[in-house]
Parts: sequence; structure tokens; C-alpha cells
Amino acid sequence: MLKLAWRNLIAHPIRSILTSASVCIAILLLCLLRSIVTTLDAGIEAASATRLIVMSSISLFVDMPVSYQQRIEQVDGVDVIGKWQWFGGYYQNPRNFFAQFAVDPEHLFDMYPECQLDEEAKQRFLSTRNGCIIGRKLADDPNFAWKVGDKIPLVGALFPHPDGGAWEFEVCGVYTSSAANFDERTMMFQWKFFEETLRTSGQDPGVGVFVFRCEPGANVERIMGEVTAMFENGPMSVRCAPESEFQRMFISMMGDIPMLLGWIGTAVFVALLLGCVNTMLMAGREQVRDIGIYKALGFDDVTAFRVLVTQSLLLCVIGGAAGIGLTLALKPGIAAAIAAMFPVFIVADETLIFAAVLIVLLGLAAGIVPAWRASRMKPIEALRAEH
Amino acid sequence: MTNAMIRVKNVTKSYSRGGETLKVLNGLNLEMDEGRFYALMGPSGSGKTTLLNLVGGLDHPDSGDLFVAGANLSDLDGAELARWRADNVGFVFQGFNLIPVLSARENVELPLSLTGLSRAERKKHAEYALELVGLKDRMNHRPKQLSGGQEQRVAIARALATDPKVLLADEPTGDLDRKSAEQVLDLLVRLNQEFKKTILMVTHDPHAADRAQSIVHLEKGELGRIEHNAPAAAK
Repeated sequence: MLKLAWRNLIAHPIRSILTSASVCIAILLLCLLRSIVTTLDAGIEAASATRLIVMSSISLFVDMPVSYQQRIEQVDGVDVIGKWQWFGGYYQNPRNFFAQFAVDPEHLFDMYPECQLDEEAKQRFLSTRNGCIIGRKLADDPNFAWKVGDKIPLVGALFPHPDGGAWEFEVCGVYTSSAANFDERTMMFQWKFFEETLRTSGQDPGVGVFVFRCEPGANVERIMGEVTAMFENGPMSVRCAPESEFQRMFISMMGDIPMLLGWIGTAVFVALLLGCVNTMLMAGREQVRDIGIYKALGFDDVTAFRVLVTQSLLLCVIGGAAGIGLTLALKPGIAAAIAAMFPVFIVADETLIFAAVLIVLLGLAAGIVPAWRASRMKPIEALRAEH
Repeated sequence: MTNAMIRVKNVTKSYSRGGETLKVLNGLNLEMDEGRFYALMGPSGSGKTTLLNLVGGLDHPDSGDLFVAGANLSDLDGAELARWRADNVGFVFQGFNLIPVLSARENVELPLSLTGLSRAERKKHAEYALELVGLKDRMNHRPKQLSGGQEQRVAIARALATDPKVLLADEPTGDLDRKSAEQVLDLLVRLNQEFKKTILMVTHDPHAADRAQSIVHLEKGELGRIEHNAPAAAK
């Protein structure tokens, strides 16, 4: 049966290759789309349940007063708190984009145990006024190739340096991350240095987000409610949410990506299905007389059905397997290409299993109509068909 | 003493074409003995091919009974009829009807896959059948690499590969030149004489019909005269 299906496929090599290639490309696309969703979700899943984020209720791009920190700290159950501000600078050229944050370094490593840095580097970071730490991937980026002790001049696009030049940071350590939510392409520097530098020109920097950790056993729902209520009457109302919720909001700023990717994936699948059905209908029409011969020789209707379904499955499995193989082969390249946006690129086992199931369903769906017709055909009618 | 291999009792068959009903077989009664070679002749539309298809279990009669190789075909459903065809009948068609993507040996092996034979046994049987029709040296050729006469001989090898009781041939020499036609007819005569196959051959060609032991004439769906030739012989 398999040999017969294979021979029928290679009897029309161009058609079979084109159809299999379209299955290959579509499966590659579907795997990549699902992997992007998985990658986005990875940050949410890895987010801490005890870390809470406070941001302006208007937008992530609207700052909050620094004074909020003390008031949040006073809420019963709040353990430690830190400020984060998006710096938005660039190194030499705006194309050299990577994330930079002004942070409170004192509790950074307590609050983010996934950010791993040796003790010596931590102390150096805490004691160096313009010190910064950078992630391993950023340090290894051949565009930068920074190491401890290097000076990094950054042009402040959002916060220009008061003297009109570049901000200069000194690399005190290179951290690694043990979780998907903590990016290794980020730079963090001292809030104090950031604030003091801006104040020399009379600027008073605001805070992008406050991150705080609750005490063990604290009622997180109550704390979120109290923090939100505390600033309800201004001057800037806030929104307090668990880190996972914040990650989700951050992703949704780009639109409903999973839904959009889902629709694209569905459209690709439907287009692919139509293409495969068309190919198999042509194959079915061409093989009507062969079906008549099988039946005359004593093969039953089920065999006639199987001949065409096997052919359809083979066509889709060859293309689909190539698509899965291509996904795995391209994974490192894609991960490197999107490294500036996503710290990891995850092709989950579930995605590959999903693709394999889809390939089988596609093969069955594409072959079922011609196979059903073939099985229902009377041998006499089939034998009369022209080749 | 011979037994009837094929018994046709009051068989009628009609077709609808363009809203009109065409009666092709009209209460036909006929008996054919085991181990004989019959030619079925008659003008176009007399019901020759229809009768051949009914005897081969490829179609059902509207009424009447067909007993072939000990089975009443009217009692068999689609799957049973398929099984019965595999065990009892070999077909040879005018247009050869080989599977184009398979080699000569694979074509002959095809009906053997319905038997319980192992792959090696199937291969051996197929090679023997091809040797019998003089085409062992062409067994790896695809149908399009063979001449018409060779294709028809492969089709005959396929038809006899499962050792059926009955061989049904529909204009087996219709698409062949004279020389190839003679080779095919010689082969059919040999299968009848050496292997005692019951053969029913539809033909328009009186020369081909002469090679059979009996010539059955059909006229407007009814039985005409039956002629008996001298014992068939490979010429």
C-alpha cells in the first residue's frame, strides 16, 4: 500500500514536490507562530507570584512621583520595594538598541533571585556611583563585547545628559538569569546616579514602575487593594498588579498578539487544506481506472479508500516532517535574530506534537473526499474511466 | 463428464441512459462447462460485455440467477463478491488495464497480496506466471516500456497468478496487431488445454473466435446459436 502510494506520488513529481513544499512552509510558519506565543507566555509563567508592580493607571509611559515609594512601604505586608525607570538610551547608534533601567540596587538581588551575580560584583555595583550591571547575552554580543571595568557611553534619548554629552556607565558585573522572565540583554544602573545627574539641571525624574515584594504569608489581594486605594485621589492614580499580570499587560500593548497569530495560523491551515484537497482530487480523478482495476482484481472498497488516504497522508507527512525539521534547524538563527526583543525563543515539545497532529489531520482531511468517492465507485464505472 | 462452471438463469439487465431504459439482457439462459474455452460473439449492443461483467461479479443482474464457480452471485454482497472475484476469476481487458506505476512483476503480484502468501512466495509466483507468458526477462519493466502485446501478456499473467477457475477476457486482441494477437490467443488456448482453465472471451473477430472450442452468439440480449469448433489448438 505504501509502495503504491509512493509510486503514485512520484508519478507526478512536480505536483507532489510543490504540494509537499507548501505543507513544509506552512508547518514551519505555524510552528514559528506558536513558538512566538510560547515565548511570550514564558515570561508570564516564570513571573513571581509574590512580586507586585505599581504603575500609573493611565499608561506605562506616564511616570509616578518618587514620593510614592515611602507611602507604599508603609502598607502592612510590604517587605521591600524598588524603583525602575526605563532609560531608553543608545550606544553610538540608535540601531544599537537594548533595554536599560535605572534601579534601586539595594534590594534588587533579594527581590530577583533569578538575577545571578557573584558577591564581589554586587559590592562593586553598590559602591560605584555610575556603576552598572549587564546581562551575559549583552556582554557576549559581538557589537558590544563589554567586560567588567569597561566604560559604556550612552546617549540618553529620553533623558539627555545635562551637559549635552553622553551618560557614562562603568560595567561592575555580568549577570546571568535562571528564568525566562529575566532578560540577559538588559543593563541596570544606579537610581541615585540617575536622579542626581538630572537634578543638576533642575529636573526631577519620575518613576516608571515600583516593584515590591510582600512578606511571607501576607494577603496579596488586600495589599493590592490598599495600594490602589491610597492614590485614588491623586496626584497620580495607580494600578497595582502581580508581576504576571503586568507581563501580560506589557505584551498586550503590542495588541492581542496570541489572537492575531492564531488567526494567521488558522488562515494558513485553511489555505493549505484547500491546496492539498485540490491535489488529492486531481490524483483521485487520475486514478479512477486504477481503482476499477483493484476492485476487479478482488480488492474491496476499504482498500480503494486506503490507497488514496495513504497517498494523501504520505504527501502531508513528508512535507510536514520537513517543516518540523526546518523549524528545529532554524531555531538558533531565529533566536539570535529576535534576541533584542525576546530573551529566549522556545520551540516547545507541545508545538511539535501539535504540528504532528495537524499534519495527520491534514492528510486525512485532504484524502478523505477522493478516497470516499473511490470506495463508493462501482468497478464497472471505474474501469470505463479514461486515463 | 463435465460440470457447468457458469450457469445463467433468466438473467435480465437494463441500463438507464438519458432517461431511457435500455434492456441489454433479456431473460438469458446459458450453461458453460468447466474447462472449456468459449468465445462470445454478437453485434454491438447485444450484451456480450454486460454478460461478461455479470459473470465476473463486476455488476449485478436486475433479475435472475448467476452461478459461477459454485457460488450464486446474487447472494453475495459487495465485500463477499470482491473476495469471490479474488479467489475465482481472472480478468483480461481490451485496454490491458495494468497499473502504470508498477512494474510487470509488481502488477502480477498485486492480486497475490490478497492471498496468505509471504512476500517471497508472491514474488516467486509472479515470476513463474511471467515465465509462463514468456516475459520473465521484462519483469522489471513498467507498462509504458512494453509493447501492446507484451502488456496484454502481463495482464494474462496477472489474471492467472492466483490460479482462478475462470478467465474472462474482453476483446483481448482488440488493440493488438495480428502477430501479437496470435501470441495472446495461443496463450489462452494453452491455458485452457494445459491448465484446464474455463475461458470466456468476448470478441468481434471471427478469427479469434475460431480458436475457442465453442462460439456463443448473442443477439439483442438473447441467446442465439452455439457453434462447436474442432478441439482448440495452439497454432
